[in-house]
Amino acid sequence: MQAMTGASTSAGPVEARSATGKSRSGEGGHSAALWIAATGLLLVVGVPFTFIVLQAIFPELGRGSLAAPFSSLGKTLFDPLLPRMALNTVGLGVAVAVVSALIGVPLAVFRGLFKVPGAKIWDALMLVPFMIPPYIATLGWIMTLQPNGYLQQLAGFNLAPFLFSLSGMAFVMALNCFPVIYFGVSRTLEAVGGRYSDVGRVFGASPWRAFYRITLPLSAPGLAASLLLVFAMAIEEYGTPAALGRHAGFEVLVTQIELRVSDWPIDLPGASIMALTLVLLSFGAFLVQRRVLSARNFQTTGGKPQAINKRPLGPLKVPVLMFFALVAFLAAGAPLFAILATALSRTISGGLVLDNLTLANFISIYDDGAGALKALTLSLSLGVATAIVAGLLGAIAAYVAVKTRSRGRFLLDVLTIIPNALPGIVVAIGLVLAWNQPWLPVSPYNTSLILLLAYCCILLPQPVRYTTAALHQIGDNLEAAARVFGASRMVVFRRILLPLIAPSLVASMLLVFAVAARELVASLLVAPVGTHTVASFIWRQFEQGSIGLGMAMAFVTIVLTTLVPFAILMLLRRVGGNDAIL
Amino acid sequence: MMRVSLFAAAAVFGLALSSSTAMADITVYTAGPASLIDDLAAGFTAKTGVKVNVFQATTGKVMARIEAEAANPVVDVLISASWDTATDFAKRGWLVPYTSPNAVNVPDFLKTDTAVAQGVSALAIAWNPKSGTPKPADWSDLAKPEYKDLVNIPDPAQSGSAFELTAALEARSGWKLFDDLKANGAIVAGANAEALNPVLQGAKAAVFGAVDYISLAGMKKGESIDVIFPASGTVIAPRPMMILNWSKQQDDAKHFVDYVLSDEGQAKVAATALMPARTDVKTDRPLIGDLNILKIDTEAVYSKREETLAKFAAIFAK
Repeated sequence: MQAMTGASTSAGPVEARSATGKSRSGEGGHSAALWIAATGLLLVVGVPFTFIVLQAIFPELGRGSLAAPFSSLGKTLFDPLLPRMALNTVGLGVAVAVVSALIGVPLAVFRGLFKVPGAKIWDALMLVPFMIPPYIATLGWIMTLQPNGYLQQLAGFNLAPFLFSLSGMAFVMALNCFPVIYFGVSRTLEAVGGRYSDVGRVFGASPWRAFYRITLPLSAPGLAASLLLVFAMAIEEYGTPAALGRHAGFEVLVTQIELRVSDWPIDLPGASIMALTLVLLSFGAFLVQRRVLSARNFQTTGGKPQAINKRPLGPLKVPVLMFFALVAFLAAGAPLFAILATALSRTISGGLVLDNLTLANFISIYDDGAGALKALTLSLSLGVATAIVAGLLGAIAAYVAVKTRSRGRFLLDVLTIIPNALPGIVVAIGLVLAWNQPWLPVSPYNTSLILLLAYCCILLPQPVRYTTAALHQIGDNLEAAARVFGASRMVVFRRILLPLIAPSLVASMLLVFAVAARELVASLLVAPVGTHTVASFIWRQFEQGSIGLGMAMAFVTIVLTTLVPFAILMLLRRVGGNDAIL
Repeated sequence: MMRVSLFAAAAVFGLALSSSTAMADITVYTAGPASLIDDLAAGFTAKTGVKVNVFQATTGKVMARIEAEAANPVVDVLISASWDTATDFAKRGWLVPYTSPNAVNVPDFLKTDTAVAQGVSALAIAWNPKSGTPKPADWSDLAKPEYKDLVNIPDPAQSGSAFELTAALEARSGWKLFDDLKANGAIVAGANAEALNPVLQGAKAAVFGAVDYISLAGMKKGESIDVIFPASGTVIAPRPMMILNWSKQQDDAKHFVDYVLSDEGQAKVAATALMPARTDVKTDRPLIGDLNILKIDTEAVYSKREETLAKFAAIFAK
């Protein structure tokens, strides 16, 4: 009880209500959850999205005029380049999802079903690639693999042709995205456990057959949800396609949107229309996922207590550990090395030689104290706040969508999928258009709260997808049993559902924290005047050609964003004595 | 978990408190370099007591923000990296006419009724002496076999000055030079800083049309980079300062422009390796008078901008 009390700051009115009218408590719990989810989603997603749609229709919206509706639509939609860019975008998304699955699924299977030595440490290492901002990782890979890069300086050869190609781009992006699949699928598999495949084995199935026919299909919600997330992350990622794709002549929708937004005269309506195209693509993927998951039953968590019985790896132990180590090296080790090597270099042209080694970049961060520290504090607190707000809102929205029969739950589900494909820059524009209206008495615009709104909007899909997958696996009989014993819906949610989805929810909140603490594209546009986040701080250094200084700041940030969530988890464990989390 | 919610509430509350939009300050939107505007803002505040709120990004991002904010604009002073902005904003009637008393020594082509240059950058060849290639002297040298696959070109669609260089060279000698560069393996590589980075590490030998002050600053830090201004001519990119007509602090905004053009302000501009707008401020880099500036007919060049960019993209997309 203690562990979950007050999980939501907005639980107050609900409790009051269920206390006053016991007989109506069930309905009260339901409609309260629906009410919270609907208000939250409308505020966080609905408002900016509405303004993006309006901007697409009314080109003069920014100036407060509704003149010439639909005049930009034809021009943008009949752009001869659009079909090719849309195709490229889908191709890239699929390629990244496939490569991420090839890396993430085997790792997740071993982690979820077998006793992998040092499992917690591997978990931590697999979280690191998520802490490395994609644009930094890409820059690190460029500096490692390009001619005369770090690889050539150390080993005498370079891999530039591979890096600057579609496969290189998919590889770099997948190394950044696969943790989504690793965490999503391994948690699901853990929940599915070995019990069902044991039953299959009893009836004579071979281990492979039992895995393919029973365990893997049962973990489909987790796999489908994480594949969808990866696809959506890939089609809205800007940094990597901009840095690598241009060399390969590979233009995607997001790079074109960026161009329209940063090339005078600014084409906001065109950018909005293209962003809506992206949303449609992601929505298509979402419908596919829904089709795959609907009409089947994935409920594996029933009332019976089950011990998590993981198998030993046996003779596979060494190869499996080598696989884990290889992935950790490629996804975390190599980019970190490039970042640190650059941060410790006096000059880039000096290369990896001893007398080019210096701490000067770290010292100037320390000297800049105030600026760097302010940016770090702001980004870390925004990260924590986003994780909590998006996590709770996401969990409630997922609950309403999966476990209730409320009308409008499909609409809620749709609202949670929209930001999946909205590029950060477009979310930012929607927020400025919405919240900078002169008639608003108070507005979060030009305060740090606008960043919180932006991050929540961009990252809401993470907790929603993760908890939706977890909720799909919880049997309805648990809830029914609790109701029989007189528990209100709110109590059922707090004491039964929430603890059961906690591992998935906490994992997604960690990811939200990591991404929010380093978000660049939206931050650059909506940051209040005079305010810097870590990412915009780093970007300023790059833009001035101080790559070493930017990389030093990036390194400090990666270390901190990795340590902070673990510190919080430790604290939670001490306070709540709740070992179920992670 | 109770503590978590308390923490969340505290975090949100803290964020709300940390926001500041005091109305007596002036708000400056500017293109880079960041250190320059930080310096200028601090200097101005020390002199006048008026606080300066800064939003700094690329010219494109600054413009996007102004466009999205147009219903309720907050910017008082805008410093762009592209003179085109000043022309366009003046046409829209968004600018306050102002001639600073400190602009006497700013040459006529760097000021209009509504805008005046903060500083000036020029485009150059940025070349890595350790690249094992001969030192280039002119743009056309980079199409020679010695530089096969070793040249980066900043994207004219993403950089205003790169566009002007493309237009100026095309007006002088047609597209042949660009066809030759493409045939020689030159690639279009993002905006300015992005194009320079591979040259520093040695993956490429030279940038065709690098913004000079970034490379000069790198040189000061000891990077192996040389900045060559081709004798056959290059383009300059004056950085216009403008006061917006919706500004509620026009007097303070004017004082800010005066400050940037003062001896102290121009010394700060010179310290970032930009050319000062005033001809009477001394600095240790080549100045406008030392360069052969390609004449361009701005009006004509910008009226066929889309056409030029499309042609350029077509050459390098092959």
